[in-house]
Amino acid sequence: MNAHHRFLWIILFALALLAWTSPVSAQIGPAAPPPHSPHPTPTPQSLAEGKDLFEGTCAGCHGIDGSGANGPDIRGVGKVLGPEGIYGVIYGGGAMGSGMPAFSSLGEDKIWLLVNYVSSFGQTGGGAVTGDPAKGKEVYEANGCSNCHMIGSQGGDSGPDLSDIGAIRSTGFLHDALLDPGANLPQSDASLQERAAYPSYTMYRVVLKDGKVIEGMRVDEDSFSIQLRDAKGQIHSIDKLDASKIEVLPDKSFMPSYKDKLTETQLNDLVAYLAGLGAAR
Amino acid sequence: MKTNRRQYILCGFALLALVLGISAHSWAQDVTYDEILHSAEHPQDWLTYGGNYASQRFSELKQVNTENVKDLKIQWVYQLKHQGIFESSPIVVDGIMYVTEPPTTVTALDVRTGKPIWRWSAPLPRNLLTIGLFPTNRGVAILGDTVYVATIDAHLVALDAKTGAVKWTSEIGKNSESVAITQAPLAIDGKIIVGMGGGEGGLRGYIDAYDAKDGHRLWRLYTIPTTGEPGVETWEGDSYKYGGATTWNTGSYDPETNTLFWGTGNPAPDWNGDARKGDNLYSCSLLAIDADTGKMKWYFQFSPHETHDWDAAEPPILLDAKIDGKMRKLVVQANRNAFYYVLDRETGKFIAGMAYAKETWAKGLDANGRPIELPNNQPTTKGNLIYPSITGSVNWTSSSYSPLTGLVYVDTREQGAYYFKGHPEMEPNNPRDIGGGGGQKVVGGDKAYSAVRALDATTGERKWQFKMVGDTWTGTLVTAGNLVFCADAGGNFFALNAETGEPLWHIQLGNSVRANPITYEVDGKQYVEAAAGNSVFVFSLP
Repeated sequence: MNAHHRFLWIILFALALLAWTSPVSAQIGPAAPPPHSPHPTPTPQSLAEGKDLFEGTCAGCHGIDGSGANGPDIRGVGKVLGPEGIYGVIYGGGAMGSGMPAFSSLGEDKIWLLVNYVSSFGQTGGGAVTGDPAKGKEVYEANGCSNCHMIGSQGGDSGPDLSDIGAIRSTGFLHDALLDPGANLPQSDASLQERAAYPSYTMYRVVLKDGKVIEGMRVDEDSFSIQLRDAKGQIHSIDKLDASKIEVLPDKSFMPSYKDKLTETQLNDLVAYLAGLGAAR
Repeated sequence: MKTNRRQYILCGFALLALVLGISAHSWAQDVTYDEILHSAEHPQDWLTYGGNYASQRFSELKQVNTENVKDLKIQWVYQLKHQGIFESSPIVVDGIMYVTEPPTTVTALDVRTGKPIWRWSAPLPRNLLTIGLFPTNRGVAILGDTVYVATIDAHLVALDAKTGAVKWTSEIGKNSESVAITQAPLAIDGKIIVGMGGGEGGLRGYIDAYDAKDGHRLWRLYTIPTTGEPGVETWEGDSYKYGGATTWNTGSYDPETNTLFWGTGNPAPDWNGDARKGDNLYSCSLLAIDADTGKMKWYFQFSPHETHDWDAAEPPILLDAKIDGKMRKLVVQANRNAFYYVLDRETGKFIAGMAYAKETWAKGLDANGRPIELPNNQPTTKGNLIYPSITGSVNWTSSSYSPLTGLVYVDTREQGAYYFKGHPEMEPNNPRDIGGGGGQKVVGGDKAYSAVRALDATTGERKWQFKMVGDTWTGTLVTAGNLVFCADAGGNFFALNAETGEPLWHIQLGNSVRANPITYEVDGKQYVEAAAGNSVFVFSLP
């Protein structure tokens, strides 16, 4: 078979594959929205209307604040999906099996109200970014943040990955987390099926029946075992039946407070840098 | 000629094998009503959703027991062909396991190997409506040589048990009006009983009986009265027309009195009852129904004028036990509202009840079993922290009852939620108006936990508990081997001593078990089944 024939065969195979897969994907994929009006800029009034519509239509599954109930947590979809992406999901519904119906019958005006309201979730309590992101990057590097945190593929992994932190956390949250890191720990990554999200980076102290004491950050836990990472990075897998005491060390974190380590300007610069991480994809 | 002769010889051998019964793994697949009626005498099979008509999920099998359960090993795993939320409780008959995959696929598996024999998938509309529920399926019913499945788009389909071929299809309700079904139907003598879901879509609930042979509808009982009927006055204005009260989980059956016992769901909209003032009968109730006529014999409402989505859909358990020294016919339910109820099965009269999980909405139950409600227990525009959360102290998962211990085993959730009140209006026949009149914010993480609780069946008093991390959705199975099987949210399937709650065995399955486990026996060996993630796991002793 010469190269020309091989090319033809590849084309034919690709067409056949397309013909075979198209009906399947047509059954399982949400319908793409038809041409619609451009994304309107949110106003206080349109956000209030969107809130009313959300509470009447979406909150039953996604929670009153978007933090999830029967449906998933949707805070943060604003920057991850972007306005058109959210429009598409509301219009055409979620993937087959997700349980989210299509809301195309709402009409484009109401869908846009919802898009803007939903997009505002990640930003509530944020306030304006006042710092200088470029200087904030310098603060980040000078204070050893990358020893524990990863941005892109650079950095350590004992703390939360910050690659998309600006998309999922408000500026207010970031500011507070730098001052009091243990006060509001992030939730673990749990699928809808697992329904077992718990605060990550929680500090534990375990006393084993032989008297040995292990302190560390909870990596995982179920009813029979707990996995801790100690200050040296060592992982400990503990059978709960072997422990005489398992206690949470409340409000503790490996991460130090930067309250007295950074000036207010440095803090704002760092927040500005972090808030810019994780743009719309 | 040669071919014909060979065919005759093969036929002869086949007949001989049938006569001599030497085909050890042939599949008869013919279940009589009498066999389901006496399911305790057929513990090798799991013939109906609740294990028996009383929904006790108790098995007489005891090969696996407290002494040897530590040796349980995985025998086979079947991975679903259709991924999604997997909540199926299988039926096992004579060597075949019928399991349902989301959203509505029935798969027949060889129980010895886990290999699929046949598979049938419901044709579904592209614009499928599943309002307030996941598109899944919790199991089939079997009667004669027919498997019955209720589809997510609200059809009852009869399938040939040996081949999966469709015998007939009956429409139960209009999916375009939000009727959707996830429950396993219940097969009784010549009838298939099935309820429906989708109550958040502005509809009026009902439960149906269909002729098992041809699928024609024999009766329908609406769960909300209409104009001129008693009870309609418990709905303000015309709110009764779209008040929900669906029948979305499988009920129980008392053959002695020919009575069905079926729980009903919440009134709609969920969290704002302003436009439906009154008790909203027969929402959040247990209905006793004449199986021949579909007429209601009695009702018991657990949560009058409910505003927290606390459906009474949990499968009710029928049992006979002594109360004050006298044997009584009882129906019991660990309700989503955190109270355990003991009722007289013949009259519906309240006998006993108490909270079995944390609740902050009622001081207790009065002499008639009606909650004595506390002030400030309603959703508010700013959010009101109330226990339990909308998913309740239990949800659709089944509790079990062991006549050997006299205990009811409840997979209990300990979790609160901030309840928010939103707009009350619900447009009639508008399945898009699904808001439910508000929402919730769950108090989760380490502030919530689950527990298997063993309750005295006649009082609800707690005898022991086994605490678990996370929010479990498993249900319990109890066996004559004195074992309770359940699972935690972290993927551990485990066995407890039914008398003490002591953990005796566990295995990590890699995902949570969101389905009621079952047990059965093949070739003299007991198996235990659990559905975790998107897989069916089957265990036995080596």
